[in-house]
Amino acid sequence: MNNALAKPTPIITKPMIALFVMLGTFPLWGEAVGLYHYLGVEIVIWIIYALGFNLLLGYTGLPSFGHGAYFGVGAYAYGLVQLGLIESVWAGVLVAVIAGAVAAGIVACFLSHRRGIYYALMTIAFGQVFWFIAMKWHTVTGGEDGLLNIYRGTLSFGVFDVSLRDNVPLFYFVFAVLIIVVICLWRLVHSPFGKALQAIRMNEMRAGFVGYNVWLIKWTVFMLSGAIAGLAGGLFAITQESAYPDVMGLHASGYIVMLTLIGGGFVSFWGPVIGAIVFFVARDLLGSITETWLLWYGLMFMAVILFKPEGIAGIWQDLSKKLSRNQKQNAPVVSQHVKAGE
Amino acid sequence: MALFEATHLHKRFGDQVVLEDVTLSFEKGQLSGIMGPNGAGKSTCFNVLTGHYKPNSGTVTFEGRDITGLSPRLIAGMGIARSFQIMNLFDEFSVLENILVAVPQSIKRSFNPFHDICGNSEAIDKAESILARVGLKGKENLIASSLPYGERRALEIAVALASDPKLLFLDEPTQGLGADGTALLADLISELKRDYSIVIIEHNMDFLFSLADTISVIHWGQVITTGSPDELRENEWVKASSLGEVA
Amino acid sequence: MDIILNLLPHIINGLALGLLFALIALGFMLIVGVMELINLAHGSLFALGAYIAMTLIDPNIAGWGSFGVWYMELSLTLRYVIGLALAPAFVAIVGMGLEICMRRTYGKKAEYGLLLTFGAALVIEESIRIIWGSSEQFLPVPEMVSGAFIAGGMIYSNYRFFAAGFGIFMIALVWLFLEKTPYGSIIKAGAHDSEMVRALGVNLTVLRLMVFGLGASLSAVAGVILTPIWGLRPHVGVDVVIPAFLIIVLGGIGSFWGAVVAGILVGLVVGIFGAYASEWSLMSMYILLIIVITFRTRGLFGKKSALEN
Repeated sequence: MNNALAKPTPIITKPMIALFVMLGTFPLWGEAVGLYHYLGVEIVIWIIYALGFNLLLGYTGLPSFGHGAYFGVGAYAYGLVQLGLIESVWAGVLVAVIAGAVAAGIVACFLSHRRGIYYALMTIAFGQVFWFIAMKWHTVTGGEDGLLNIYRGTLSFGVFDVSLRDNVPLFYFVFAVLIIVVICLWRLVHSPFGKALQAIRMNEMRAGFVGYNVWLIKWTVFMLSGAIAGLAGGLFAITQESAYPDVMGLHASGYIVMLTLIGGGFVSFWGPVIGAIVFFVARDLLGSITETWLLWYGLMFMAVILFKPEGIAGIWQDLSKKLSRNQKQNAPVVSQHVKAGE
Repeated sequence: MALFEATHLHKRFGDQVVLEDVTLSFEKGQLSGIMGPNGAGKSTCFNVLTGHYKPNSGTVTFEGRDITGLSPRLIAGMGIARSFQIMNLFDEFSVLENILVAVPQSIKRSFNPFHDICGNSEAIDKAESILARVGLKGKENLIASSLPYGERRALEIAVALASDPKLLFLDEPTQGLGADGTALLADLISELKRDYSIVIIEHNMDFLFSLADTISVIHWGQVITTGSPDELRENEWVKASSLGEVA
Repeated sequence: MDIILNLLPHIINGLALGLLFALIALGFMLIVGVMELINLAHGSLFALGAYIAMTLIDPNIAGWGSFGVWYMELSLTLRYVIGLALAPAFVAIVGMGLEICMRRTYGKKAEYGLLLTFGAALVIEESIRIIWGSSEQFLPVPEMVSGAFIAGGMIYSNYRFFAAGFGIFMIALVWLFLEKTPYGSIIKAGAHDSEMVRALGVNLTVLRLMVFGLGASLSAVAGVILTPIWGLRPHVGVDVVIPAFLIIVLGGIGSFWGAVVAGILVGLVVGIFGAYASEWSLMSMYILLIIVITFRTRGLFGKKSALEN
């Protein structure tokens, strides 16, 4: 290493370890603070989903308003494998990932030369098509009720098996998946591909003139994001023991946008993580006080957009910047995405 | 054979003819200028040459290969880089990152998830040397949007240099610069001229006459004349028009 | 011939639906044109209009005292007219309130405006749930436009004709407003260039407020008229905003006739699909959109828009 200006990105970072320790010990302290194990499972799955989604929204600046579709496709794929083919968690999850990737890959062919609201609108239109199919194709999807009685099953490691019937082993299973996803995505966003995504967000035309294959990059990131949504959807089908069309609707697709933004997906890799945790804890805390928690959540979301569109991660960065400025004056302003998560 | 040749280019927008039978050629190792009054079709000409627009007819060749109608990405891949009249930077990136995303080491690996461009010392050294060249050494970690106007202009050119271009197109580089900024830019370009083949579009005649080897004058979408600055000073059309006053 | 005759009721249904879709879309487009903003709350304002009208037409008068007794003695037709007139006015005020909130997002990324209105849609929908409950509601219509008649062996609902006629009437009003008033020409100018609006010496702040109010009230009018056909649920707003959004893009952003033609087209496609495969009728419009936009990037009548960047 000859240069102090740009340091190689470490594979593991402090916030990553903090997150893993916090989530990894959740079954030990979760119930003591009034939460429950199942909530942990749900949060971890949505963190996976949101991290994949933020590749599109935060990194590439592509607003997808129909992302629930790929989550749902993953869930149905998992269920269909379990009910129709083979009772194997591994096979189900693998097929869920592939199904999400294929569905998103096909849609991305129609999307990748578009920008702005045309992009947003096309994602909504395709999202609705998938939702309609899930609702109406009774013989395959079970219609409005969805696929029921998907067994949670047993993880087979060859020499020993782990039953996922209980929420704690299930939690550690999805947590292990999260670790892999976080490390892979962290690597990805710091690779030239990740830089290219950000370059496209900031200036799509220039990225093309510099020599990037913008269409292919936009296609790939949508497909990847769909694959991760499919993975999360497959895991969701395990925990819910069912797959149903609700997760594909416009509302569910909106929630993923909201939580990614509230967390601060535009300025930090960790934004979606914060957002998912806040969303579910808010749902449970507000939900226990008032039936109308979505009203308050919606107002909170509006306030975030109005006063701090950089979200919670943005507030955090401002605070830490202020602290470090107090320590040493004239600190140089560093690009936010580079700084984020260090 | 010239490095870059455009023959009989026509470009229409609807009923409006913007370029009419434009033929230009740029030699290797030279600094060629395109000048003309505002609205003469210079910018359209530039956008057709660099692949942003497709011409209605005519051909563009680079190193003997036909590049007419290719996408900007493919044209960039062949070694043609351009800067923009309106600033086109990656605003939220630092100065260094702006160059790092544009170096071939990154572009070639744009689908390699295992590579870490911030740990590629070859790429960083290269970015460093480009930044030193345009006078931005020591500003690597500033965010692009926080730079003053003249330095943004230098960065704009540096991004174009990052791809090791065989031919560099600069679109109105003095646009918005004051006298001091223009003088600095002239120094920079005369320095770059030693290593690169350059094409500049300008309406600032002083600037172009002091730098260019050959200049083509475009008016009403047509090439009026082409020649060295000295020849142009003697040209009747240039003399007759207001363009001659500065020459 | 038989096929056409059998389809006629569906075509009329489709036409009525399409004209009202077009009306919603026009309100939506006024806002897009002047503020370059996608208003995802547009559908919720539609729902709000319908709920307020329902309360005005068929109120629960407990606690209203003698005014309530007097009010209920008015004929249903009169109360319907009151609802149809006052509900859009209320909704216009809500829309203006939203515009005042929006001001902080002007000049920032276009996505922020879109997201803010998504939040607003959620808030309005939840508020409707709190005030009126989640169950399906019913909006009474005056006798003179209800009922049905039989012609050529097919049943035609009177209300569809009323809805279609009212849709045409409102679209004509919007057209007159845009073509024949100075405000209209400013709005049309603004649809292309907000600097030009400023140069004309118009107060842009007031213009935006008015346009938002107008767009919201058009949506509310459509809500009052369409509800007897579509039913009234808190999430009806979502069912409506997406078709409106879709019609704008299908017709081409900024094109008045594009929106009208696309609205009618979508209504007809939904209506005719409804005749053969009613389960899938609403999906047909998405397929239509995907087909059109794949081949014509800017829709049927579209010009280049600032929103593409």
